[in-house]
Amino acid sequence: MLKSIRRALILSVITLTSLSAGHAFAEPLKVVASFSIISDFAKNVGGDRVEVTTLVGPDGDAHVYEPSPADAVSMASAKLVLVNGLHFEGFLQRLVEASASKAAIVELTKGITPIDFKKEFAEAEEAEGGHEGHNHGSTDPHAFQSVVNAKIYVKNIADAFCNADSAGCDTYNANAAAYTEKLDGLDKEVREAIAAIPQEKRIVITSHDAFGYFEHEYGLTFLAPQGLSTDSEPSAADVAKLVEQVKQDKAAAIFVENISNPRLIEQISVETDVKVGGTLYSDALSKANGPAATYIDLMRNNIKQIKGAILGS
Amino acid sequence: MKRLLAAASIAVLAAGMATTSSFAEEKTAWRLFVSDHGEPVINVVDALTGNKIDTLPLKGPASLYRSASGRIVFAVQGKADMVSAASTGITFEDHGDHGDIEITAPRLTGTEIAGTKPSHFVEHDGEFALFFDGEGVARILDEKKALDGETSVREVKAEAPHHGVAAVFGDYVLLSEPNKEKPDELPVGIRVVDSAGKQVGDIRACPDLHGEATSGKLMVFACASGILLVRDADQGPSIEHIAYPTSLPSGKATTLLGGKGLQYFLGNYGADRLVLIDPSANDMFRLVELPTRRVHFAVDPIRPRFAYAFTEDGQLHQVDIVAGRLAQSVKLTDPYSMDGHWSDPRPRIAVAGDRIVVTDPLKSQLHLVDATSFAKTGDISLTGKPFNIVAVGGSGETHATE
Repeated sequence: MLKSIRRALILSVITLTSLSAGHAFAEPLKVVASFSIISDFAKNVGGDRVEVTTLVGPDGDAHVYEPSPADAVSMASAKLVLVNGLHFEGFLQRLVEASASKAAIVELTKGITPIDFKKEFAEAEEAEGGHEGHNHGSTDPHAFQSVVNAKIYVKNIADAFCNADSAGCDTYNANAAAYTEKLDGLDKEVREAIAAIPQEKRIVITSHDAFGYFEHEYGLTFLAPQGLSTDSEPSAADVAKLVEQVKQDKAAAIFVENISNPRLIEQISVETDVKVGGTLYSDALSKANGPAATYIDLMRNNIKQIKGAILGS
Repeated sequence: MKRLLAAASIAVLAAGMATTSSFAEEKTAWRLFVSDHGEPVINVVDALTGNKIDTLPLKGPASLYRSASGRIVFAVQGKADMVSAASTGITFEDHGDHGDIEITAPRLTGTEIAGTKPSHFVEHDGEFALFFDGEGVARILDEKKALDGETSVREVKAEAPHHGVAAVFGDYVLLSEPNKEKPDELPVGIRVVDSAGKQVGDIRACPDLHGEATSGKLMVFACASGILLVRDADQGPSIEHIAYPTSLPSGKATTLLGGKGLQYFLGNYGADRLVLIDPSANDMFRLVELPTRRVHFAVDPIRPRFAYAFTEDGQLHQVDIVAGRLAQSVKLTDPYSMDGHWSDPRPRIAVAGDRIVVTDPLKSQLHLVDATSFAKTGDISLTGKPFNIVAVGGSGETHATE
């Protein structure tokens, strides 16, 4: 009885507070973002109406991430969980089970046009039966590497926030529109940067095949020894094949990624005499003091690195 | 080569289709490997039916360890100076959209690694490191060798015999460093050696080192002062000492287990407590109080939220790893006092699918508890004193032809 009265009083207080004081005293919407890029999108759309907890943080690798009990606690108290989908977060299912979370899980790739991995990677994945924890199938999950897709992520986030917090919907939509305008500008920058690179020089090498959507959208060819996931180990034969391919295709530049061990790329660099051009940010932002602390900075850093390595900075 | 194999497989498949039709059937199998406290045997029991499948003879009473894949069980026979490998007879093959299960008879593979006072067994990065205290030597082999019955090993030697441990970590081996003044006491740190056996960097201090576990990408060693947390870094292992916070009561972990599915570590901390270690959390160390002294504990590899602890009052407890507390308890046995010798026959825990299995050596029984309802569901009788136990198994498809 006492509990019921207390609950009724609390509800009254919440209702009265919402009506009288608006958002200033409302609890922020608790949101879990599966990795740092989604977290940045969510903060741009949600502003101070949302409290975002990021599972796989800056420079973290979602492919091999192992969730912790602390993550399960975050999941349990969240109202929304924003994920990439397309089997990107292999850890998600067991984390949902461990946390017993009732949060709505929103796949932000809903509405994008998925592309398949390059044939050779899909075959390798199939031959090896996926990798520990999950199997990508033939669909490339790294859709955020196209700014056009990033805008779809942003729209999906705004819709999810509106569903969860209708009082803030106008704010979310306004924030999403403002951020989308910035993404339009970013998209233009990327296209201009790639257009400045001669067609025959638009081949680069990265650690793992995370840039399929970038390639598809902007017309730069990426070769990668590690296939779809950082969790797969390339064989010596795979690396030798890539070295030969690099020599034949005359790749213009080679890059390490922020989430991958650089040793393999350094080996290929030595064998092909193509120097390492810098670090590309693939599946994660940099730390706050790094060159890719936001999604927009990430894309700007990547095109700057690519352009600089191919054309000379 | 992969493509050749794939082409060959397709050809074989096509030929098969011409004459037979194949179908997939879902199959579940769980086997319990149970050592006896006094007899040199492993009893292999079908966990689903309770029927004994076989008895594998050993040289001495054994502690049992299963490999991560579940294909191999190692029997460390301290009194017989021997480590033997047994094939569990259950193999899984990941086919991406499904997994195949192959079930054959359990058997000793013939791999026997002899050495004085075998003690700690550590599997990491696909290799098994067996430490022999009496020689201060780690003998290392992989699963394929153990399945094939091979006995060739590579050795990494510490400076003196001691009660130690070794773990493969990529191209390196982490090796306990003996206490030079008092070699009978616990090691004082970790030495990193490269593939040529050369020491890399300084000895990482870890007073009274005892207890090691892996969870996800992290490895941890327990010290009197805290833990050594080992991560993979660009240039080999990165090792960080994390002291126990002053807010914890006096104590230390000496046994560690690594969480499966969630990245955490579970250790003992005093006689009647467990310590939960979550290296990602602000509150890294959390204590879980037990009603009486602890006999054994185990993590649940299938339900990542839970671990189990057995206490001397005969109760099995479900430990909620996320909440950091005991969630449920069930009485299973008569009291088992922790007074007496540390290796007296007392219950041990294993998880076989939806069943938690607890040995009751003084009653010659295995008690079964349903992992969901946490209620006792039955017993399996065994002769002798069933003691150490590991479970292997799962579900997969079998492809029969007709």
